Amino acid sequence: MSIKSGYFKKSLHVDLTKGSADRRALPDSFIEKYVGGRGFGARLVWDNLKKHNYKIDPLGQENLVVVAPGPLTGVYLPSSGKSSFIAISPATGLYGDSSMGGGFGVDLRQTGIDVLSIIGKAPELSVLFIDNGEATIIPMPKLKGKSCLKAEGIIREHLDTRTAHVATIGPAGENMVKFACVNADWGRNAGRTGIGAIMGSKNLKAIVVRGHQDLPVYDVNGLMVESDKAYTYLKEHKYFRMWQQEGLMNVIEYANEKGILPSYNFKDSVFARHEQINGATMLADYKIGDSACFSCSMCCSNICLVKNGKYTGTVVEGPEYESCAMLGSNLGIDNFAAVLSANRLCDELGIDTISTGNLVGAVIEGYEKGILALSDLDGNDITWGDEDAILELISKIANRQGIGDIIADGSRRIIEKWPEMDKIILQVKGLEQSAYDSRAGSSMALAYATSDIGAHHTRAWTIAKEMEEGQDWSDEDKTETVIYHQKLRPLFDMLGVCRLPWIELGLNERHYANFYKYVTGNEVSLEQLLELSNDIYDLTRLINTRLGMSRKDDSLPYKVWANPPLTGPNAGKVIDRDYFQKLLSLYYQKRGWDENGIPQARLENKFED
Amino acid sequence: MPKKLTVIPEQCSGCRICELVCAIKHFGVNNPKKAAIRVVNTYPHPVMRMPIVCSQCKVPLCAKVCPTDALRWVEGIVHLDKEDCISCYKCVEACPFGAIYAHEDCDLPIKCDMCGGDPECVKQCPLGALRLIPEDALGEPKRVNNILSYTQMKEIEFYEKGEKKTIHYAEIGEEEL
Repeated sequence: MSIKSGYFKKSLHVDLTKGSADRRALPDSFIEKYVGGRGFGARLVWDNLKKHNYKIDPLGQENLVVVAPGPLTGVYLPSSGKSSFIAISPATGLYGDSSMGGGFGVDLRQTGIDVLSIIGKAPELSVLFIDNGEATIIPMPKLKGKSCLKAEGIIREHLDTRTAHVATIGPAGENMVKFACVNADWGRNAGRTGIGAIMGSKNLKAIVVRGHQDLPVYDVNGLMVESDKAYTYLKEHKYFRMWQQEGLMNVIEYANEKGILPSYNFKDSVFARHEQINGATMLADYKIGDSACFSCSMCCSNICLVKNGKYTGTVVEGPEYESCAMLGSNLGIDNFAAVLSANRLCDELGIDTISTGNLVGAVIEGYEKGILALSDLDGNDITWGDEDAILELISKIANRQGIGDIIADGSRRIIEKWPEMDKIILQVKGLEQSAYDSRAGSSMALAYATSDIGAHHTRAWTIAKEMEEGQDWSDEDKTETVIYHQKLRPLFDMLGVCRLPWIELGLNERHYANFYKYVTGNEVSLEQLLELSNDIYDLTRLINTRLGMSRKDDSLPYKVWANPPLTGPNAGKVIDRDYFQKLLSLYYQKRGWDENGIPQARLENKFED
Repeated sequence: MPKKLTVIPEQCSGCRICELVCAIKHFGVNNPKKAAIRVVNTYPHPVMRMPIVCSQCKVPLCAKVCPTDALRWVEGIVHLDKEDCISCYKCVEACPFGAIYAHEDCDLPIKCDMCGGDPECVKQCPLGALRLIPEDALGEPKRVNNILSYTQMKEIEFYEKGEKKTIHYAEIGEEEL
């Protein structure tokens, strides 16, 4: 079968050491098997790993960063603005990826390529400018230390382009903070797994894209009809207007009600003053406008402005649920203006709000419990809800000052220095947990433990379903739901689209197989696409196990075993260790991996050719 | 009465669906860079998302600079005559809003033709930021927005006989328009 359309069938490979950029043809067989986005990324990272004999320093020259939109990115269908950043993560030392919304991926595709890969290290701080067909590496040492938002403005000015999209790192990325993110379009982040640190290690301050080519679509009219159906479905959904207004901020109320909202570093799973940081508060006092990713009618992002008090004038794109929970309730902050200010600070510095909120919370608890002494904190007292101290600590992390230098190296380094912190920090494989408590739901715990990038909900998010109908779930149901999610959710990252229309408003996932059919001209069923996605999951597992990971790493944070939430509907609940191991064995069995979690040898040959 | 395509930037989220549908309708391709309407974003000061599209001016400056008279205002729409146009792009530069566009692949300037009176972008805008309204109703959304901003204002200061006074307004609530 040949690929009829939907792809430019070109990749761009940039070597920063040599200063070269060459376009390479992508064979049909490659495209067919890996689809795009995270699929392309995983395969290219795997090839690079083999080339380096399975030894890669995540912050070394040899680590390959892949930026990949998908075949559906930028075409007329709901929320098609996604692109993925893939590399070996400095936070976990394993496979890592993170996706970004906005319009960056659309322009990247319009330059006429399907995937961009970057290796090497530039001699001085540089910017990669891909202007339609041409790619140039432009040294811009003066950008050193500039915040993400400022750098974006300067770069646009300097390159004389207002329409280009700029994905940039901030001071945190330059300082190789292990959870530094890549920021584009003034507040869209590829936040997790520390891709920003890798760009920093390569002296790559920003990737600028400006493209104007037609996106290849096999059947434009067919796609139009299918997409109109999908848009109409969304528009008529009873919660559509609520999504436009509150966006992801509505989840705060939901999470609090269900008892899965992290508060005080996951000591509790409800927050007494949740009403002060929820969507209704945002709408009443802070929101000044909507913000949407490319071609998205849901516009789940908000623009907020603080109108009075000490943070007056703070403008931020966001916050969304994760940022608000991790920088709000998880730190005991009940002042929404302070949450906005912290979010803005993270955007400026270019660090992940989830990891930052998680680690700052852990530091506060560690200090409270006496594991950290006042001298460890450079003499600065810090406690729950202490806005000034928290904002200062965030700056110290990004600039690697004092204790910030240790926190910047992520949870593993903190645990190495203060072993007792292992009982305080919530992390899996070195990646800090995102803002859904898993003690109430063993399927969510399994999802965190088996996610290929660490404790993040992007691969499987079963908590809502388990809360609603999961009381009667058998172990079979739980593992199968997690595996189904781990097939479907990464598929969105492969296609280059957002999953929110599906997960939040229930847009039928079969639409996506049709979209793929109309864009590429290839008749593929959803089941076939899910199988392809499953292959990628096997591949990332192969990468991870080759890098030394095994069953012992598919574990959970100490708190999940030992410290139940204090109040709320899930008070007293923890995950039983033996029960979890049983669930994990069943999961491996269903995946066809061996008892130690290693994919069988048969898989290895699958990704040769 | 001719209708005007008007933009309410306060309601725009910057999703660019208008760009896509415009390009698909006129060129049959998925390429937002071939649209006659583009969303310009500014951030953070000020935060604004503004779709820029032809205003179909009655005294069109684009037509004034056109050396071949290829642009003509007829019944509310400034038409671009494909036969007469020589693609000098003088109109692109002359438009005070920058609402005429150029693209490498296209022989002619890209200009809004209102889809013959039923613009696709207006139909597809998910937030009602683009509207088609009769000329005599122009400015109405602005007036309504202005009133809304007053209803949210809880107090107003004023001076009477040199004395500073304050009036308090009751909040009207969050009824949607």
